[in-house]
Amino acid sequence: MIRTIIVDDEPNAREDLEKKIKTDPEFDVVSTCANAFVAIRDISSKHPDVVFLDINMPKISGIEMLSMLDKDNMPRIVFVTAHGEYAIEAFKKNAIDFLLKPVKSDRLNITLARLKENHQPQSIVTEAFPTDLTFVPCYQGTRYYLINVKEIIHAFSSPTTGVHLVTGDSEQEFQTNLPLKVFDDNSQLKRCHRQHMINPDYIKFIEKLDNGLGKIYTYGNHTIPVSRNFMDNFPSIA
Amino acid sequence: MQDILFLEHLAPLLQHMLVFLGLAYLFTKTPVFTALVNNSLSLPDKVIIYLVFSGFCILGTSLSEPSIQTSDAIANTRAIGAVLGGLLGGPIVGFLVGITGGIHRIISMSSISDPINYIDIACAVATTFEGLFAGCVHHYLSRKGKIETLFSPHFVWHVAFIVGLGHVAIILLFGVYTSNGMEAWNLEKEIGLPMLLANSFGAALIMYMIGEQKQACDELSSSAAAWRIADKTASIIYGRFNQESSRKIAEIIQRETRVGAVAITDRNRLLAFSGLGEDHHRPGSPISSEDTLKVIKENKVLFADGIRKTYQCRLKKTCELGSALIIPLRDDANNEVVGTIKLYEPKNKLFRNINRKLGENLAHLLSSRILAGHYELQRELRIQDQYKILVAQINPHFLYNALTTIGHIAGKQPDRARNLLHYLSDYFRKNLETSDDTTTLGCELEHVKSYLEIEKARFEDRLLVQIDAPEHLLTQVVPVFTLQPIVENAIKHGTSELLDTGTIKITCIEHNDSFTLTVEDNAGLYKKSNTNGIGLKIDERIKMRYGNHYGIDIQCEPEQWTKVNIHLPKTRSKHDPYNHC
Repeated sequence: MIRTIIVDDEPNAREDLEKKIKTDPEFDVVSTCANAFVAIRDISSKHPDVVFLDINMPKISGIEMLSMLDKDNMPRIVFVTAHGEYAIEAFKKNAIDFLLKPVKSDRLNITLARLKENHQPQSIVTEAFPTDLTFVPCYQGTRYYLINVKEIIHAFSSPTTGVHLVTGDSEQEFQTNLPLKVFDDNSQLKRCHRQHMINPDYIKFIEKLDNGLGKIYTYGNHTIPVSRNFMDNFPSIA
Repeated sequence: MQDILFLEHLAPLLQHMLVFLGLAYLFTKTPVFTALVNNSLSLPDKVIIYLVFSGFCILGTSLSEPSIQTSDAIANTRAIGAVLGGLLGGPIVGFLVGITGGIHRIISMSSISDPINYIDIACAVATTFEGLFAGCVHHYLSRKGKIETLFSPHFVWHVAFIVGLGHVAIILLFGVYTSNGMEAWNLEKEIGLPMLLANSFGAALIMYMIGEQKQACDELSSSAAAWRIADKTASIIYGRFNQESSRKIAEIIQRETRVGAVAITDRNRLLAFSGLGEDHHRPGSPISSEDTLKVIKENKVLFADGIRKTYQCRLKKTCELGSALIIPLRDDANNEVVGTIKLYEPKNKLFRNINRKLGENLAHLLSSRILAGHYELQRELRIQDQYKILVAQINPHFLYNALTTIGHIAGKQPDRARNLLHYLSDYFRKNLETSDDTTTLGCELEHVKSYLEIEKARFEDRLLVQIDAPEHLLTQVVPVFTLQPIVENAIKHGTSELLDTGTIKITCIEHNDSFTLTVEDNAGLYKKSNTNGIGLKIDERIKMRYGNHYGIDIQCEPEQWTKVNIHLPKTRSKHDPYNHC
């Protein structure tokens, strides 16, 4: 079975595509998502093999969403779009498949056949659309936010509650579905610990401890641990 | 005996006068004539006046026939030259004309056989006096700012009569002084009255003619200048009355009229300034002169001639400008003053009458240009409009989305899909039937509802629509395609960017003689850059049609809401509100 997620902000388009994909018994639609926020969550939790991704969506477009996915666990992406120009771009780079809306069954079947032949992870996707992370989709309780990556002071992951972000002067805490790995690849945040990342702009000073460990003090007077393995990321104290 | 002598002297004098009139008439047709009637005389002008009227003096003496010569004194029209020279040229010119005429009188009437006597001297002195006196009158009038009085024949008659009396008095005084009193008395008894009358009437008549010619000349040259300016500015203003076009026009007018400075304002700001005082009259600054504001308010020409009413620059005490002519520029289409044109002269220069006329002509010209431009712009907009409407009628993007959505729905809910197809064809049918520029609010709302039904199907529960318009306002007239593009924008750049449910509210509020349509979304994502200028276009269209009180304003509370308010005047349609829908 090929695990599939459909992402589209128009409910009828979503349903229509789901119905058409389901005619092929080899495909299992594990989730349908109305926006990128939900999609990122479901992709990281359900590990699909294939994502049918709409490009024009509110707040975060399908292309922006690519930069928010973990490169090493990238599912195969099929763009579904009303805009031919994106499709042509994708086609030129020979990176990903694309479908033009409205999706016709004949054309879809060709795509499904290709996917059945090869549904290995597809890291080449992000090279076709190189994008730096500028905004990070986050949530506090049930509300969604887009946080500018420059405002993040500190990111850390907890084994039970996932990734947390601390931002700005008021040091608010948000949760995000993006793994820390994505910040490693696509942002200026620096890894200082297996579970912690720091924005270098907010480091006040770094204290070196005895056992090869360190301690970062931020301008907000918070402390963040530096582990032995990541000491090299901070040449000023190494 | 006396009566016969009187006529005998008067008749030839009248003949001379006619000769003068003829000569003067010919002279007014020559190019140098303009020099005579220029209100601010330059040195070459004065030289011309001196030469012309000295000529008149000499002619007046030379024409006198020896037959009516009585004891050396000759009844003559020399005084006409002196009086007119003085009146037109001022004291110095008058004095010089008089003394030239006087010296000529002495030289021409004396010979070796007939040496210079007291009469010769008296005549010369009298003529000089006449010129000087008339010159002083000129000086007095010009200081009082009543220089136009010079051209009143009535006034000239009086001046000539008074100097004539002076002339008689001088001759008699000289007679008494040189113990020839009796002879002088007899002489004046004989020729005094005819000369007095002939010279007064002659001077008045000639001046009358000069005045007439001057007026004709003023009008001619002012309209000629107006035409020249019209020609040069023709391509500039057409349709666009703004800082750029105003600057070019002000420069051309200043160059053509050679006034001290020219300014053009709109209702609030100085748009352009060319000439003296450019350093502190800055284009773009608000209007500082109360006079100008008064002209705009009262829609009347204001003339501060620098004498009775002075002009004082409010920006700089030392500003050279001393007189100003301020004329409103009218937009007759909307019956309002759109600005002013101002001509200035510096303090040391009189405002030329010709420029006053010219200024009025120019304002008229610019006003009709603005009007023509207004119509032209309106026509252009109408063409653009029609094009836009055509495109909107097809609206391919919307059609694509609509058909895709209906396609998606057709499989699972065929009846709903059929309904949506009906809404879609309704929407396009209304587009096709739009032949007028206007429709009723009722029709426009129906049109928008058809549009929204499709959009609601596309976004399903992500889009809510509320429409609230009082029944009695549905007959009001609105320009076609006013509401629909704004609603489309509110969805495209507003609610479709929301993760949560988007709400579009359309409301209508009534005022005394206008009403406001408001399209509100709950996205608050309005940015000037992402509206494709549709709001601006509709605003322009409404302002063109109904004037500047109406149009569109946009309020936005970021991340909360955007409100687009459309202000329109109340005009009830004769038709039933749904007549065409």
